[in-house]
Amino acid sequence: MQWNENGDSPAPGVDAIRVQDLCKTYHVPEREGGMGEAVRSFFRRRYRDVVAVQKVNFCIRSGEIVGFLGPNGAGKTTTLKMLSGLLHPTSGKVEVLGFTPWERKNEFLRAITLVMGQRSRLSWDIPAADSFLLHQAIYRLSDEEYKQTLKELDDLLDLSPIMRKPVRNLSLGERMKCELAAGLLHRPKVLFLDEPTIGLDITAQARIRTFLQEYNRRTGATILLTSHYMADVTALSERIIMIHQGELKYDGSITDLSRRIAPYKIICVTLEDGQVMDLSRYGDPAQPANGEWGENGGCKNLIQVTANRVAEVTARLLAELPVQDLNIEDPPIESVIERAFAE
Amino acid sequence: MLNIYRRLWQTNWAEQWQYRANLLMYLLYWLVSPVVYLAVWTTVANAQGSVQGYTANDFVTYYLLLLMVDQLNADITIHLLAYKIQDGTLSGELLKPIHPILTNTLVNNLAFKALTLMVMIPVWLLLCLLFRPDFGTVTLPNLLLGIPAIILGFGINFLFGAAITCLAFWTTRVYAISEFYYALTVLFAGQFVPLDLMPPLVQQIAAYLPFQILRFFPIQLILGRLTGGEILVNFLLGVFWLLVALGLFQLVWKQGVKRFSAVGA
Repeated sequence: MQWNENGDSPAPGVDAIRVQDLCKTYHVPEREGGMGEAVRSFFRRRYRDVVAVQKVNFCIRSGEIVGFLGPNGAGKTTTLKMLSGLLHPTSGKVEVLGFTPWERKNEFLRAITLVMGQRSRLSWDIPAADSFLLHQAIYRLSDEEYKQTLKELDDLLDLSPIMRKPVRNLSLGERMKCELAAGLLHRPKVLFLDEPTIGLDITAQARIRTFLQEYNRRTGATILLTSHYMADVTALSERIIMIHQGELKYDGSITDLSRRIAPYKIICVTLEDGQVMDLSRYGDPAQPANGEWGENGGCKNLIQVTANRVAEVTARLLAELPVQDLNIEDPPIESVIERAFAE
Repeated sequence: MLNIYRRLWQTNWAEQWQYRANLLMYLLYWLVSPVVYLAVWTTVANAQGSVQGYTANDFVTYYLLLLMVDQLNADITIHLLAYKIQDGTLSGELLKPIHPILTNTLVNNLAFKALTLMVMIPVWLLLCLLFRPDFGTVTLPNLLLGIPAIILGFGINFLFGAAITCLAFWTTRVYAISEFYYALTVLFAGQFVPLDLMPPLVQQIAAYLPFQILRFFPIQLILGRLTGGEILVNFLLGVFWLLVALGLFQLVWKQGVKRFSAVGA
């Protein structure tokens, strides 16, 4: 539990990341299929401007964990690449820990990390342990610092059994663990994580989640992560930023989003003998997102009612029907987000 | 910084051992042309007594040294880097607070060299047994001077190679450009025939170009065929070209990374 002894991270409450009017437009060559068109495009190439990120603004305080959501092609990865210095924006300003990322100063690179599912920091042909030693040298970590950090990463990610095998012989999940460890050995103050749990099973996902929480708690690091698994985001962050087609759609707490987009509760009613009944006179029928609500997969009678009518409807249900069990729940975040993007 | 190079060496060295088949192919490629030239020219020289003053032994010593010098200042940057630029994996290296080419690629080059030498030295000794060269003109001071000459040659070759590889930021045809560079080396470095047997015009042009610093100069130096003045002039010329290559590389690299980060890594 030594992470925060350096006291290097900026004090909580100070902005670690500032993004102002950030835009990125890709200039991509375009042509129709066919031989004639191939020849024509040789002489006169046509380009199309693809807007990936458009006037995005947000600030993230030091020590915050923020979930970055959006469908495929929304501009999430492009934004993360600009924040970590791999991409020049077309216009706009970014400050990360006071640095302009794309100047790629060594001091900046030492303070951040970008972990992407597919981009590797590890050499395939040698064990991860050897790559870790190389990272120690590159990031100028003292032996003591290095051993300490590696030990802690080992505790959290259980690296010992896998870090001596050549990386190419590891499973996807094992590789992701090593990849995360390699990205965190230098104790970055700002973490950009692009799908850190992609391809992992539920247990491994949960472990990585716990790990990130623990890392954040111990070091006060700032974390911005994208994920396809809503569970990652809801477990880790109170705040989410949503972008769609390059534009910022929402920035705020998950609870507020649910309240705004879906200001209703779900009532699950289990009737005697497992009866299925039409409850439309009590409230609108609720459609389970993936065929079932989280823990109430077995519940057949679902209605949704606005929050202020919950007490009244519940009382009526209990009085008028042979109720065996009754649950009141918030709508699942998946369906809230789905609605938000559909708007 | 030294620590980084030490670790890079360890990882690259360990990595290189994975590619044994690669190594064999490289060995064949390295051997074929000098050995063919060697065989042809010694036959000619033996038949005629000499070719413009080159005896059979002169050819044998020249080509045997060429084999070693060629290997010692060879550069494989294009094979290490071009694909990373093209498929975007370079971005992983750009996130690290070190210059990827002047550290990782350089050491990778050297590790490959060290590994290939382990195989090549026995092969080279076998060739010596076969052709029985008389290295009587080689003196210790000249041999020692040959070391900085070869290092200088590698520096020039590496930086030009890296600059050419960085053209991959703009075009997918870097291998063609690299082939062209190699063709110039064959012509102007004395790879094909000892440079002093080339037409006078070619010799005059070659005298100003960097290529002869890579092969002809170190070979002549070690064989004791150069005067003190000639050695000095060649070293100065070499340093000049090293600086040119460095400047060119820095320029192309900077612009290239800028472009890389504009189009999307």
